[in-house]
Amino acid sequence: MSDQLSADIVIIGSGICGAMAATHLLKQGASVLILEAGGPIDRGRVVAAFRNSTRKSDWMSPYTCSDIAPHPIYKPTDNGYLVQGGPYPYPAEYIRGVGGTTWHWAAQAWRLVPGDMRIKTLYNLGVDWPMSYEELDPFYQQAEEIWGVSGAENTGSPRSQPFPMEPVTEPYAMRRIRERLAPAFPVVGNTTARNSRAYDGRPACCGNNSCQPICPIDAQYHGGIAIQTAVDAGAQLQVNAVVYRIEHDDKGHIVAVHYFDADKQSHRVTGKTFILAANGIESPKLLLMSASDKYPNGLANSSGMVGRNLMDHPSTSLTFDADEELWLGRGPQSPSSINTMRDGEFRSEHAPYRLDFTNISRVNSATDALITAGVYGAEFEKQLRHRAAFEMSLKDVLEVLPNPENRISLSDQKDKLGLPKPKVNYAIDEYTRKGAARSHKDFARIAEMMGGTNLRYSAEGSFANNQHITGTMSMGIDPKTSVCDSYGRTHDHDNLFICSTGVMPTSATMNSTLTAAALTLRTAQHILPNRIIATEQGRG
Amino acid sequence: MNCLNELKKPTRRVLLKGLLTAYTASLIPFALAETVDTPEQGAFVALSAIIAGRQSLDPVLAGMLYKALVEQDPGFPQAAKELLALINQRQIDPMQLQKTLDDEKSSLASVPRKVAMAWFMGVVGSGAQARCLAYEHALNAQIVADVLKPPTYAYGAYGSWARNPTVELKKEVNNV
Ligand SMILES: Cc1cc2nc3c(=O)[nH]c(=O)nc-3n(C[C@H](O)[C@H](O)[C@H](O)COP(=O)(O)OP(=O)(O)OC[C@H]3O[C@@H](n4cnc5c(N)ncnc54)[C@H](O)[C@@H]3O)c2cc1C
Ligand code: SF4
Repeated sequence: MSDQLSADIVIIGSGICGAMAATHLLKQGASVLILEAGGPIDRGRVVAAFRNSTRKSDWMSPYTCSDIAPHPIYKPTDNGYLVQGGPYPYPAEYIRGVGGTTWHWAAQAWRLVPGDMRIKTLYNLGVDWPMSYEELDPFYQQAEEIWGVSGAENTGSPRSQPFPMEPVTEPYAMRRIRERLAPAFPVVGNTTARNSRAYDGRPACCGNNSCQPICPIDAQYHGGIAIQTAVDAGAQLQVNAVVYRIEHDDKGHIVAVHYFDADKQSHRVTGKTFILAANGIESPKLLLMSASDKYPNGLANSSGMVGRNLMDHPSTSLTFDADEELWLGRGPQSPSSINTMRDGEFRSEHAPYRLDFTNISRVNSATDALITAGVYGAEFEKQLRHRAAFEMSLKDVLEVLPNPENRISLSDQKDKLGLPKPKVNYAIDEYTRKGAARSHKDFARIAEMMGGTNLRYSAEGSFANNQHITGTMSMGIDPKTSVCDSYGRTHDHDNLFICSTGVMPTSATMNSTLTAAALTLRTAQHILPNRIIATEQGRG
Repeated sequence: MNCLNELKKPTRRVLLKGLLTAYTASLIPFALAETVDTPEQGAFVALSAIIAGRQSLDPVLAGMLYKALVEQDPGFPQAAKELLALINQRQIDPMQLQKTLDDEKSSLASVPRKVAMAWFMGVVGSGAQARCLAYEHALNAQIVADVLKPPTYAYGAYGSWARNPTVELKKEVNNV
């Protein structure tokens, strides 16, 4: 049954990036085939699974892990899929299933600030991006209109057009935090892909406060919606199709990809242009797995940079009791933040950061803590209500600089299909640690201004991960130091493109998916069928 | 069958009060008139009342939780009985219960947490064996139900979360 599948554009991965690329190209008249490693995900089933979950704070718990395309699982026990090479643990979380990881996200939809793209020039750090903020602006706008993004105007990211909708109503708790921290700290609404009104056939938010792990009513945009749109527009979607090799001809032109189905039958799929959109870890893994005689270090890897420069956003946090009742958990989970430390001269000294306030209900975590502490009887009710009402928490979202030693590579362990499990090496450097130390001054001041007591900092030297996998297939002008150009086209293979957070050459301080989506739309526009496909045909 | 909600044979049922001393009875005066099938099950009901600290507990849920606890650990009924006996005998305050058992490295130390997890989170068992029997009816949701909905349940109409919940609470109190 080999060689039966073929399309103008073959996309690996049905996540938000792959799906958005698909829709754009379909509208231009190309035929598109999407190969997806995981199985279908059903919203209603995930909601039910969450309600029945025994670990409500483990957002992976309601999602099924595919037998043939596993993803990392850490609870109740580590499934060992992502092999940790140290020195610092990098417990990446992602979902392999139709629609990908944004099924359980906070829908924070941030633009970069212009300085993020020029940190080499401005602060002699990291690298510059191979494009300007102005070039990205119209694609940000397009992505925001597709997603339905709203938010405050003054977050540090310029825009030439208004947001497609009004900001989502501020929860009472965030209003109080904003009022009490003003003017020392300007607290603003996050930009989010969350509906403040019915938008594109989806309803306005109704405050379920379960944005992670699942919005029960699709009031926030996610990859499941993106892939449905692509399928409705005519994309052919092949599920349980685990791509394990990308095949090239003797000129380095990509001619096919190979996938295993659930029975480990192999299939070969041909196409004219190929888009790799299997996320920031599985994509570099696949490039490395596709090594051949001509490319012994893997595809797109003449620079040796595939899988390297892994970045994310580590966070430290402070939890305390405010001196007034806030009752977190009413309205959406991630409504507000402080954006004043995203850019500035200080960047030559320490990492920039955003300060993010959570509005996740405290009930579950407080219950856990009280049971652990053995608080029983009437006192439990009293203390639970107190914590649910007064407790608040904030975290820093810190930049990590590109460092080739932080990397994804192939481990010597195999998954069920016999494919290598990814291995990660990661470290958190002084730049990021100094940024955390700086942010703790803000933490302390904020706690003071909120009348905070019972201050609980996250453990010294310990960082939580934010799951914004960046850098592993960095774009750049120089093929010797980067994997792809600013259009996501790999320097080594003229018809292989990458759509992913992994192409971002620096991590900045914001959740990375909106930038990846904007870059994806820019890539898709560049691939315009009449351009690339015609070129391919001309070549014969 | 050791299930609280099976009320078929009232004649054979035991009055909860009979399992308590004056001390434990004083902790849960509201539960004294309840009847149970067996002393073991009675011990669970009494422990539940002591640990949950609520004026009343849903008997149907109690039955489900007890059944699940026994399924997870056949030694649970006996352990519950022994723990109740210990509390009766030594007059242990609920707030001191866990600490006392932990300090003494008691073999019963895991029992109160199991009961607490069951009632407060609706979860019985741990690790891969864990089961969730209640969510919106778990006590941690009930205790705050006047202000918060458990995540995945709609809070209310768009924007309703802008209101000050404490004002709403006071209003309710005044209306009573
Ligand atoms: C808990 C959580 C919260 C988050 N919140 C935010 C947020 O608020 N804002 C934000 O910007 N970002 C957030 N993120 C990050 C965001 O989810 C990712 O940036 C985003 O999903 C990346 O999109 P993608 O399409 O590149 O990859 P994915 O969404 O991971 O999709 C990749 C797809 O490729 C498929 N695939 C993988 N391997 C293969 C293969 N070999 N063959 C075929 N298909 C394959 C996968 O199954 C998957 O469907 C969050 C992440 C997590 C875990
Ligand atoms: S608060 Fe609820 S309705 Fe709103 S986006 Fe989050 S989960 Fe969806």
